[in-house]
Amino acid sequence: MRYVLRLFFCVGTESSFTAMLYRVTHITEYHYGLPATVSHSALHMLPRPVKNQDWQSYDLSITPRPDVINRRNDFFGNRIAFASLEHPHTQMIVKSVGTVQVQPRQPMLQNMSRPWEQVRDSLMSDLTDDGLDAYQYTFDSALAPGLELLCDYTLQSFRPNRPILDAAHELCERIHEDFKFDPTSTTIYTTVDKVFEQRSGVCQDFAHLMIACLRSLDLPARYVSGYLRTVPPPGQPRLVGADASHAWVAVYCPDQGWIDFDPTNSAIVNDQHITLAWGRDFEDVSPVKGVVLGGGFHNIKVSVDVEPLNQPMRPNTQTQTNSTGQVQSQSQVQSQ
Amino acid sequence: MPTPVTTYKLEDGTFDEMLDARGQMRPHWSRFVTGLQQLDVPTINTRWQNAQRLIQDNGVTYNVYGDPRGMERPWVLDPIPLVIGHDEWAKLEKALIQRATVLNHVLTDLYGPRKLIRENVLPADLIYGNPHYLRPCNAIRPRNDQHLVLYGVDLARNPSGQWWVVDDRTQAPSGAGYALENRVVMSRTFPGLFRQCGVQRLAMFFSKLRETLARLAPPGRDNPRIVLLTPGPYNETYFEHAYLARYLGLTLVEGGDLAVRDNKVYLKTLSGLQRVDVILRRTDDEYCDPLELRADSQLGISGLVQAAAAGEVTIANALGSGVIETPSFMPFFRPLCRKITGEEAMLPSLATWWCGHEKERQYVLKHLNQLVIKPAFQGHHARPIFGETLSKDEMDDLREKILAKPHHYIGQESVTLSTAPIWQDGQLVPRHLMLRVYVAATGDGSYTVMPGGLSRISSAQDSKIVSMQQGGGSKDAWVLSDGPVNPFSMLNSDVHNVKLARQTQDLPSRVADTMFWLGRYVERAESLVRLSRAMMYRMVEQAEEISCPELPHLFLLMGRKTYVTPEGGPIDSPLQDFDRSMAYLQSVIFDEEMDFGLLSICHHIRRLGAVVRDRISLDTWRLLSQIYRRLADASKSIDMSELLGLLDELLVPFTAFAGFSHESMTQGQGWRFLMMGRRLERAMFTATLLDELVVPQAEHELPLLDAALEIASSNMTYRSRYQTTVAAMPVLDLLLFDETNPQSVGFQFTQLSQHIDTLPHESIDGQRSSEQRHILMLLSALRLADVQQISKRDNLGRREELSTLLNRIISELPVLSDQLTQRYLVHAQPVQSLSLASQNPASLGMEAV
Repeated sequence: MRYVLRLFFCVGTESSFTAMLYRVTHITEYHYGLPATVSHSALHMLPRPVKNQDWQSYDLSITPRPDVINRRNDFFGNRIAFASLEHPHTQMIVKSVGTVQVQPRQPMLQNMSRPWEQVRDSLMSDLTDDGLDAYQYTFDSALAPGLELLCDYTLQSFRPNRPILDAAHELCERIHEDFKFDPTSTTIYTTVDKVFEQRSGVCQDFAHLMIACLRSLDLPARYVSGYLRTVPPPGQPRLVGADASHAWVAVYCPDQGWIDFDPTNSAIVNDQHITLAWGRDFEDVSPVKGVVLGGGFHNIKVSVDVEPLNQPMRPNTQTQTNSTGQVQSQSQVQSQ
Repeated sequence: MPTPVTTYKLEDGTFDEMLDARGQMRPHWSRFVTGLQQLDVPTINTRWQNAQRLIQDNGVTYNVYGDPRGMERPWVLDPIPLVIGHDEWAKLEKALIQRATVLNHVLTDLYGPRKLIRENVLPADLIYGNPHYLRPCNAIRPRNDQHLVLYGVDLARNPSGQWWVVDDRTQAPSGAGYALENRVVMSRTFPGLFRQCGVQRLAMFFSKLRETLARLAPPGRDNPRIVLLTPGPYNETYFEHAYLARYLGLTLVEGGDLAVRDNKVYLKTLSGLQRVDVILRRTDDEYCDPLELRADSQLGISGLVQAAAAGEVTIANALGSGVIETPSFMPFFRPLCRKITGEEAMLPSLATWWCGHEKERQYVLKHLNQLVIKPAFQGHHARPIFGETLSKDEMDDLREKILAKPHHYIGQESVTLSTAPIWQDGQLVPRHLMLRVYVAATGDGSYTVMPGGLSRISSAQDSKIVSMQQGGGSKDAWVLSDGPVNPFSMLNSDVHNVKLARQTQDLPSRVADTMFWLGRYVERAESLVRLSRAMMYRMVEQAEEISCPELPHLFLLMGRKTYVTPEGGPIDSPLQDFDRSMAYLQSVIFDEEMDFGLLSICHHIRRLGAVVRDRISLDTWRLLSQIYRRLADASKSIDMSELLGLLDELLVPFTAFAGFSHESMTQGQGWRFLMMGRRLERAMFTATLLDELVVPQAEHELPLLDAALEIASSNMTYRSRYQTTVAAMPVLDLLLFDETNPQSVGFQFTQLSQHIDTLPHESIDGQRSSEQRHILMLLSALRLADVQQISKRDNLGRREELSTLLNRIISELPVLSDQLTQRYLVHAQPVQSLSLASQNPASLGMEAV
């Protein structure tokens, strides 16, 4: 028995030969040592509508079949599903499968963006819907507080009057260079100041760090959760299920809207990234959150697979690879 | 002769509630003062001593944080009420209704369209920068848009006599129950004075609150179940939660008592899950739901936000309403009021400057030394910084902090509070005071104000801090009536609409569990007292070991019951080893570190009694706390000669408790669990007693049998039946088999069996439940045993067959206890949060790619 939640999206009409087509499979398995009597979960797995993405199909299935399913939109406009299993169970498997077409994004005009100080000041009195929405991302959140100790580091890129996107791009590159990707160095409990001190972490840490840096200057930055297409090392086959959830950052600039940056890969985000949800930090969009009654010891298995279904002709890709030719995307946690 | 009033000294530059600036009595005080002067000082003192005892006996306490031992502090009440005239009150009343209406509107907007922000009436920072703005609650639309159901507001009066709002309590205001208790004590202590003054009654307010809660139930719920949600006995105002629950007729529940199923909230009771319609909560916003709010909360109900969003339960006050009690909202009340009602605010708020705005920030920084600085978004536990007390360095430090995060700070005017007389050493002396007033929704969009309140006074004359946490006291507030007083009382309301109910259906499993353990501990303590008394008596009276062969056995028995053996090994001849034996006995009675010793068991009794204070009668609770108090007091100065007397004395409250639980407790499910706890423990004790005294080989059996009869308090029964012949068989018959002897194991089993049969069962094909079968098995084993056979000794001089039977009972009883717990009491399995549990990324089975 399982439950399938199917979402229908409008299939984009202007399907272009430049668009990437992916099949994304994301499986989370919980196994309990003792039967769990009841579990309540909040799932941030349903993709939210995004301009350059067309979901041609999407299924979320939960085994065993939940007794109750509710859906609503959260404060940030993400889709959230609640599932309750109200009978004893020893495992729960959440599987989400979807096919998505990703158009290349509009190139950003980083040098034509406004000076960062202007962005900061204008937001304080901007009462438009977009302005108010962006303003909330300038405030501290639990996992990405704009700590004072990050100011100096941030100001090295945010020199007076520099266009905000230009400066953000440089900050993104510096984090990529100054910090070591090391999945053993942090846990979900590692705070931003600790990551900053030890100069290593994973994508989630780098995203939180970059957001915190921007917030230390009262600039609007949000946490984006999603997936990243990974490229296997030359000559090796693509391993199914070896991908992972990914996280990156978006910065707000009044004329151009939200522009995404991936500090883990020093990249401006284009058609290799698939957006799922966003919020102030991981806590707002954690893919699976749950509370179980009973269950004893439990373990969690997660697998993510991002499979390209086509290979469109493209002049170049903006996703950069690291020295071994791999793209890094592991995030840590909880939930993936 | 100088009366207490003539010696009263005014403080310069403050407003006094009783006297005006020229020292003249304010007119509305005159009736009270005249009445008071008719009582002489000794009369007042005596009455007041009685009142203090009433407070202590009623268990009115206030818990203080960070005080692990003896954290319960007795409530401090002053005998002089704050008197408020009718006209002045009428004005306050109107202003408070206006304020509550505006605040409710603000909440509706902030958790909805947020127009107030778009229209620039409120700065966006106040929600986006405010950790108490709970985004998940945005999905909830409370019934009738009633966010604010019970609202508390702190008022203070400035030197010119104007009342100001100092603080808003919008999520779960505390103190209304204490105000009620203060009133009960005052009206009992000064009944004449109270009547003469024409004081407005409080009962009507609570009745309206109760009515409103019922009206707010989800549609189609005719007979709504309303519960009061408490964080538990460790909360600072737990006394009040229990008190209000009892007064309002609500079920007192903790988070673990409730569960969300199918978007609805249920109470876990002995008879299964019962739907809950309305929750009056005393748990803070963030702690109410570990799924969507704080994941580390142990106090909440997983899925509660979703249930509220689905409209299946009403929560009062609505989740998230704490957002506007942060002081940063204070300066915006005036424009909000104008915008929302089109009227001017009738009651000013304490002057407050929020540093998120440039002009205000400049003002605060310039006047730092005169203002009180507070965090903008913190609740009431934040300590204010008084600018005038800072050194230059501290001042610079603070300035820098404000400049770095200006929207995190507010500056507030430092207020000089008014004074009112308190009673001290037979005289009236002035103290600063603040008044907390309560406002309740009426369910049709309006509000009603409680005529009275909780006034709190500073602990010292020059102290400006008025806080129960910091050791101040409280006063009743008497609002005078301009006509005849409405004699309404909660108890005789609605006489014609009462539905008869014989049983309270919704006994939470947790309460049953507490009653069960209360029963077990009381019985355990009582048997320890009897055993120690028997031992002590023999130690003191007997000089020779030979005349007292049972004593070593009693020491062994004590070791079995307390799980602690004497230091330095078993005591073979207690009388020769006198000092060691006495030391052991003393530690069994007084050592708090000994988990199964008498003092710590009595401590448990008191703790459990406090938890079910709303279920057992007040008299019963007094008895229970008295036992511990007496023992704890005695432990401080132990005099051996008094020990025997103390043990005799301690048996009295135990006997009284047994009497109370039979004569004055309703014999519902709670009582049944109390009784089952007792029966189980007594069967255990009597079986162990017989195993220790009747089974072993013994040269002189008589003294052992005598001791068994004495400790099981059955010697009177025995003598009346058998005159003086003491022999094993009749003793065993009386203590083991005789189902009419309330001390016998057989009696305990028949009672247990009856209780278990009466509990709610889900019977499948009329089959017996596992615990029914278990007690039947024990009872049958006993009934089938042959008393003659079992009394015979084997060739080693032991009663081996008896030993087998007793040990079977001793090992099977805990199984029965577990079965009962499993079926009825353990709804509370450990709850774990999935998102916090997977600490190790390697366990995710992923490698870096």
